[in-house]
Amino acid sequence: MPSLLPQTVNRGNVTRMKTVSSLLNPQWHERYKRISKLNIRSSIYDVTDRCNLRCKGCFFFSSDEHKAASEEKDVAKWHAFVESEMARGVNLAILIGGEPTLCMDRIEAFYTRLPTFCATNGIIKVDRDRFPDLMVGISLWGDREDEILLRGKDTFAISSANYAGDPNAYYLYTITPKQLGKIENNIRRIKDVGLKVHMQLLSNDEGVDGFSWQPDELVAVRAEMDQMLDSYPETVISSKYYHQVITTGTMCGRTFGWMECPSVTDPIDKRNPRPKRLTNFIRWASDLKTMHRCCTSETRDCSTCKDGAAHMSWVMVNKRAHMQSSQDLQNWVEVYEMFAKLYRFIPW
Amino acid sequence: MNTTLDQTILRIAEIIINELKLEDVTPETFDADLDLVDEVGIDSMDLATIALVIRDEFGVRIDEDDYPKLTTLRIIGGYIAGKLQGDE
Repeated sequence: MPSLLPQTVNRGNVTRMKTVSSLLNPQWHERYKRISKLNIRSSIYDVTDRCNLRCKGCFFFSSDEHKAASEEKDVAKWHAFVESEMARGVNLAILIGGEPTLCMDRIEAFYTRLPTFCATNGIIKVDRDRFPDLMVGISLWGDREDEILLRGKDTFAISSANYAGDPNAYYLYTITPKQLGKIENNIRRIKDVGLKVHMQLLSNDEGVDGFSWQPDELVAVRAEMDQMLDSYPETVISSKYYHQVITTGTMCGRTFGWMECPSVTDPIDKRNPRPKRLTNFIRWASDLKTMHRCCTSETRDCSTCKDGAAHMSWVMVNKRAHMQSSQDLQNWVEVYEMFAKLYRFIPW
Repeated sequence: MNTTLDQTILRIAEIIINELKLEDVTPETFDADLDLVDEVGIDSMDLATIALVIRDEFGVRIDEDDYPKLTTLRIIGGYIAGKLQGDE
């Protein structure tokens, strides 16, 4: 939507300060104000080192992160740990694994205290009597053929039966280069089971043949992701600017990489200069003591990282960089809204 | 410290301009009542950085829980003045 206000704030020889309201019309400014004070402080937790699948390309196993620590089995210690995390200012717990649903008691330690998001392959159904509004993100790696090749089974058949129509669950669809031209089939079958979907791109950590992104494929997948957002706005939770950033690896003339990434564990972040980053972010191993380097694989080449959350956060922490024009700031608002929707800080 | 409130506000404006590398405003033209989040676009990490400089310069520690209240230059100036008076 074009801004109702001029994009320049030069008035004759007098340069006026660029403010949010000078860049956004009242409608966009209201959207901005709805999210600007959310102050989301997330951290990521490996709930367990175990999984009921072994997917090719899963960074947790490919980089041996499952061997980094021995998981804490005393549930009381998980409860105490979550208390200490809250004291550290965390207000969003993102649970990953291994497969978190193998350890419901540990999930409960978070869920009873904090807004909690649980990433799962969807094979085990979260008991909605016990966790009525736990946010669940179900991983999907493509169509039946890709799922069987990469994950050993067609998980969609199971996960869609478990979560059809669930208002607190959505699919995290990891698009692979093999999915080009076939994305709509997956979006449609997710729509048909009454769920929403967020799209991200595979980082081919294990170098599976044919699954590394080529430049022309990234151009094509961006166009296809844009088309899905246009065609299925009630199903797809995304933004075109996010598609642009994740497929080009660039934002505001900068290139994503180690020296830009905001999702590095704070206490072990020795970068100098430090980029804008997530405040107090830590990715904890399941022993509740060991810290992983970042939100994803420790062995991943950051220049090829396609992690969706890291790219979203990269945009979100660089708000001032997006105050160059109305369009830039609107792009920032849309990405922040997308993140806030995915973690239910605002309604879908 | 005998800094008046206006001088404090000007110095805070200067700190924010330097830390955020604002190019289109001076301490003198920075509206002391402009909402720093809703209008200037400051986020909590910016505030944390600014709080560190304020701590070093004024000897005033800003509690992180107070960040949401510190919405304008004038309010921050008053906060610092209040803390300094409390120390006397």
